[in-house]
Amino acid sequence: MSRLAVLLAAGAALAVAANCAKPEPAAPKPSPAAVFAGDPAAVKRGKSLFIGMCGAYCHSLRGGARGDIPDLFDCAWKNGGSDEEIFRSISQGVPGTRMDPFSGVLPDGDTDIWKLVAFLRANSSCAKL
Amino acid sequence: MIRSLCITLALCLAFVPARARAEQDEGELAAEIALPDQGHHWLAEKPVGTSVGPVSQEMLDRGASDPSRWLLYGGNYRNFRHSPIAALTPASAAKLEVAWAFPSGTTGQFEVSPVVYGGVMYVTSSYNRIFALDAKTGALLWRYDHPNPKNLRLCCGPPNRGAAIAGDLVLMATLDAHLLAFDRKTGEIKWSVELASYKEGFSATSAPLVVGDLAIIGIAGGEYGVRGFFDAYDVKTGARAWRHYTIPGEGEPGVETWAGDSWKRGGAPAWTQGAYDAESDTLFWATGNPSPDWNGDDRAGDNLYSDSLLAVDPKTGKLKWYFQFTPHDLWDYDGNTQLFLVDTVVAGKPVKAIAQANRNGYFYLLDRTTGKFLRATKYLEQVNWATIDPVTGRPNVDPKALPGEDTTERICPSNLGGMNGAWTGAYNPELGLAFIPAVEACQIFAKGIAVYSKGMPYLGGLPDTLDANEGKSYGTFSAIDVATGAVRWVYKDRFPLGGGTLSTAGGVVFTGNLTGDALAFDSKTGKEVWRFRMGGGVRSQPIAYQLDGRTYVAIASGSFSALDAFMGGPKNTTEGGTLFVFALPK
Repeated sequence: MSRLAVLLAAGAALAVAANCAKPEPAAPKPSPAAVFAGDPAAVKRGKSLFIGMCGAYCHSLRGGARGDIPDLFDCAWKNGGSDEEIFRSISQGVPGTRMDPFSGVLPDGDTDIWKLVAFLRANSSCAKL
Repeated sequence: MIRSLCITLALCLAFVPARARAEQDEGELAAEIALPDQGHHWLAEKPVGTSVGPVSQEMLDRGASDPSRWLLYGGNYRNFRHSPIAALTPASAAKLEVAWAFPSGTTGQFEVSPVVYGGVMYVTSSYNRIFALDAKTGALLWRYDHPNPKNLRLCCGPPNRGAAIAGDLVLMATLDAHLLAFDRKTGEIKWSVELASYKEGFSATSAPLVVGDLAIIGIAGGEYGVRGFFDAYDVKTGARAWRHYTIPGEGEPGVETWAGDSWKRGGAPAWTQGAYDAESDTLFWATGNPSPDWNGDDRAGDNLYSDSLLAVDPKTGKLKWYFQFTPHDLWDYDGNTQLFLVDTVVAGKPVKAIAQANRNGYFYLLDRTTGKFLRATKYLEQVNWATIDPVTGRPNVDPKALPGEDTTERICPSNLGGMNGAWTGAYNPELGLAFIPAVEACQIFAKGIAVYSKGMPYLGGLPDTLDANEGKSYGTFSAIDVATGAVRWVYKDRFPLGGGTLSTAGGVVFTGNLTGDALAFDSKTGKEVWRFRMGGGVRSQPIAYQLDGRTYVAIASGSFSALDAFMGGPKNTTEGGTLFVFALPK
């Protein structure tokens, strides 16, 4: 690790420590997926969308990578694992792969994509940690 | 205490993810599908294959009867894939040795059935490379890599199953839904036509079939809500002679079998090759699943002519008759596996028939003059989705087999089959046996929301591959007595079988497995007589030929790991195509 990287890392550590020390940290605004995660109907719709749109010759419902197809339930996100990054991968697709862009495709537009993200989160092995 | 824990955690967060991020960045840069380098087009230094003249209709009519040639995907127009080479026997096959090998330089399934003519072998690979090779040495004579766009619409990988040859032209269909004609001697492109816009979900993977002046080619796209068709093009010019939509349009008979306007996006692709009966001058073409695959709510009705066998006039494309194997399909049981035009005896009477090991698990026999259903028998060990009415041939579907949101029923066969149109069987007319490689697997068919958007997957469900996930799926290679439907012998493989088949007059039959073995069996007994580890899973269609007194067998290896995993294949193979050509010892 370069000296600059060490300095940056130490700086980041101090910043996190400072945040820990704050008595009332400002709560980040939850993503729409995080909101839907508490709504069983929304998660169920996410599942129906996943089954209907994502799983046939592509992603497995039960996890496990398949050749060029990544496991979506193992917490290892190739293209970013934040809610927003997962939303982006679904919405814009992943160039150079078989992942198509779903922006403007689903009946309820972005709302449905967020429900897909909520379903993935709800069934992720991360959620069970 | 809490503060010190916070600091410790913060330090961990600061240092560990820095490394993880670096790895992730590398991962983000790498494409998940490594497209091959584009843009290669090497013409022959001097014309090749000049010892012979143009390929005539008479040569095509004779199929594989001249062992120096392999001209048709099906071996002959009746799709027997049966070589007349008597020297390939169970005893001699055990002595096959590698004569030469050739790498395609591409990943994805290498499904080719090579064409051999004038000492030149024409080989197509995944991603639409076409190579002209010296059939005795493997030397590259000319090459073309089709510049496919990167946003292809491919449900299931990037295969191509082979070229057609006619006159002095070699024809290849492409993943971006074009048909190209090359000068067989030089590799020069003589014409190119677009079949349809790939952006709307169309693609082409099969070998064209030449009958008379016309090259017939069907389209894929059943997972994208296309309206399927197969076309005929003038071989000399590329001008389209006719198009046969596999789904009737507004006002045409059969459109009433689709609720509302669902026929417009009803699938029924024609992604495999048909057969031709010269005696009755009839072209037979079979069709795939209705769209969306696993949710039929918006397409109530039988959904003609999905999962059907169509008999048409080859000169006009007009329908003579049809038979539908799986009305209102909800399992992706494409009806387009290999059609064998067999002459057999049923109930003591000779019958000109069509035999087919359908993806739905039943082995059908139909009268090829009228389309009348004669018989259906199970050729798999596990079939529970339906029984077949012995008079009409219509399935009686078990209600438990219907896809559902929360169903837990395991239904067989899997959505890939059984047999599948992506690979071939063979028929030995002397023995009356059809040889069929197949997948044995059961699944939960889950139903979900189907949404149509042009050029996007239109599926409506998910075949939950439980048997594959649990290592329970396996392969069968069966010899089926066409006269009775009885299975005479079965070879079982640890993994599902997805390679093609070659039969020989010498009584040996070849195929391959996903482990990467080329396999040969005694046609009469099923006894394994030869096995050679090629390395990559076998998804190709083997052929045989003789040149200068030497006997060759060509089999390509190279599979598509995503589909292998879906089927339940081995994990310890890698992608990458290699064509192996074996020969009997000198």
